[in-house]
Amino acid sequence: MPVSPRSRRWLAAAAVMTTAVSLAACSSDDSSSEGPVELTFQSWVPNIDQVVDAFNEAHDDVHVTLETVTAGPDGGYATMQSAVQAGNAADVAQIGYDAIPDFLINDALEDITEYVEDDADLFTEWQWQTGVFGGSVYSIPQASGPLGQFYRADVFEELGIEYPETWDEFYEAAKTVRESGAYIAAFAFNQAPWMIGLAQQGGAQWFTPDNDAWTVDINGADTLKVAEFWQKLVDEDLVKVEADMSSEWNSDIQSGKVLTWISGSWADAILRGTAPDLAGSWAVGPVPQWNAGENVSATWGGGSASAVLKGSKHPKEAAEFAVWMNSNPASVNLLTEVGAGWPAIDDISEIAALEDSEVFDFYGGQNIWDVFAESDKAVDTSWTWPPLSSTLFADLVDNVKASVDGGKPLVDAYNKTQEDMIAALEERGIAVN
Amino acid sequence: MATRTHRTRARIPRAAWVLILPFVIMFAAFFIAPIVYAVVQSLFATESSGLGFGAPETKFAFFDNYVRAFSDPTFSQSLLRLLLFSAILVPLMVVTALGLALLLDSASARFPRVFRIISFAPYGVPGVVATLLWGFLYVPATSPILQVLSNWGIDVNPLSSSAVLFAIANISLWGFAGYNMVILSSALDAIPSELYEAARVDGASAWATIWHIKLPLVRPSVILVTVFTIIGTLQLFVEPLVLRPLTTAIGTTFTPNLAAYNQAFAQGNSNLASAMAVIVALLGFVVSFGFLRFVNRKGNRAW
Repeated sequence: MPVSPRSRRWLAAAAVMTTAVSLAACSSDDSSSEGPVELTFQSWVPNIDQVVDAFNEAHDDVHVTLETVTAGPDGGYATMQSAVQAGNAADVAQIGYDAIPDFLINDALEDITEYVEDDADLFTEWQWQTGVFGGSVYSIPQASGPLGQFYRADVFEELGIEYPETWDEFYEAAKTVRESGAYIAAFAFNQAPWMIGLAQQGGAQWFTPDNDAWTVDINGADTLKVAEFWQKLVDEDLVKVEADMSSEWNSDIQSGKVLTWISGSWADAILRGTAPDLAGSWAVGPVPQWNAGENVSATWGGGSASAVLKGSKHPKEAAEFAVWMNSNPASVNLLTEVGAGWPAIDDISEIAALEDSEVFDFYGGQNIWDVFAESDKAVDTSWTWPPLSSTLFADLVDNVKASVDGGKPLVDAYNKTQEDMIAALEERGIAVN
Repeated sequence: MATRTHRTRARIPRAAWVLILPFVIMFAAFFIAPIVYAVVQSLFATESSGLGFGAPETKFAFFDNYVRAFSDPTFSQSLLRLLLFSAILVPLMVVTALGLALLLDSASARFPRVFRIISFAPYGVPGVVATLLWGFLYVPATSPILQVLSNWGIDVNPLSSSAVLFAIANISLWGFAGYNMVILSSALDAIPSELYEAARVDGASAWATIWHIKLPLVRPSVILVTVFTIIGTLQLFVEPLVLRPLTTAIGTTFTPNLAAYNQAFAQGNSNLASAMAVIVALLGFVVSFGFLRFVNRKGNRAW
């Protein structure tokens, strides 16, 4: 099409206009005084829109809009915090327990104590405490992953192995399993939450707020005991050094080359998806204990909460939405159904999603949730996540990888992580004892 | 924006400005502004106090982030690793692409179009997907090739720390050799046939034709391909990111870009990340222009 100079000028002008309009369209606005209070909620949990819909149906005065974001550690948190800085944050956001201090050091959360302080009793104590700092409440717990041990009950029986109640028994079982050609477990060098969970279960307390400064204890005796135990398993080729939830690990689980997995309650869905052909041959038991007869548990990287982001125009309604979503039995049932994790509420008797017989069939009829309910109650309530927990995760995995790759002791990795973490905190001006 | 019309000079620049305005706006908004923003960000740092709870203070830090990046041994290692990777991949890439192009250009090539498309096809596979595919082939539990080799008593682990750079170079080579080959092929196609006829009349062999006609005439394209490959290798990111969960040989600071990504999106330190990104950009600038100056210096036509 031939274009005359005149229409060319129009085209240019049109192009400029389009640009200007699209640039100006970046900002939007809300807040009419009429109608229900409008809230936005950011989450990456698949199908959580069902929960939002249920809330909207049950409430006339508040209307929540869901914004799906990238999973927090993959950039979702960075997005949320940038939005807080820019003054256009969502009202409520999905935040991992481990990331709450990170939001606090960036001053990105509203103190919601006055709206929710009476609701503490609805939740398991350790889960509620993950949102409490300096006596103020900053988030409402949603779900977590208390640890349990998934294991191949059929193979254990075949090999004549009694369920290992203690780590000593686990070690003996590992030797028997190895003689049969398989491995009792994978050493998941890629998985900081797994390593931290094992340390926590060993009695470690990595971070303690103390006189306005942090006491950091990543290489204390309890942690090194755990590190040395796994070192022994690695050295004697009793565990397979491989990334969990990788293609390699999937294949080993399917073929029976790896027989157990210590993981969070939500791992049930992963296992059923990975090895559907092994239905009926799995079972779940408690995490082996360091001292026979005790019942100490831990979690897989904590869990997930709902927090009110700084700058929300309606913090009261936002806090109420967070409480309703995470404690209303119908809502919690939906959350459990969509795979959010182990409910943070104390009373799970009304959660029908935990009665699904299809799940139990996979585990030979066992009600595996009994194990996780026990585990949840046995989690140490005083474990505190520090600021920069993402730095902790990255450093720990890097250092453990370097140890495994260079044939150096795992203990070195924990010593190095202690140094790295203290340096990272001090660099940000955070006080360390 | 050159124009060959002979109208009054005053009108032409104005029209040109109107026409390039959309480009200028977009270029400024999405290219210049982020660079300026990154440089500015890299000069600041945030500081908390006590337990860290409460608003942090942002302060001007001069070159502290740069000093910190360079004093971090893992970042310096990642820079060295990147140079090593360039030293492996760049020659391999140029020689492979040139070899393929010359093969398909030779008079005795059969079905050159078919083979050109076949070797170009991997370029159509997104980097993440290509790396996932190769990841399967690199892990013994899922790789049919490694399983066969293992049955023969040959145990290879491409993802061990001694081999992982070659494993990544292989993925890049697979993905981009065909693309570079197409660039070189089109340069070869552009050589006038009279030159070949003259060479034939002079009795030149196929090798002599390659050496004295083809190579000198595709020289600019070879330089182009080399610069593209250098810049591409310095931006190494997707392959190690995807392979990282599979191996102990790749950490979060395997390449400078990965380190910057990790600082910005996992560790929330966008100031340090900006400094790292600026360092990588400068490195790419220096190496690419250094190479161009090296090949274009006076009297350098031998290669």
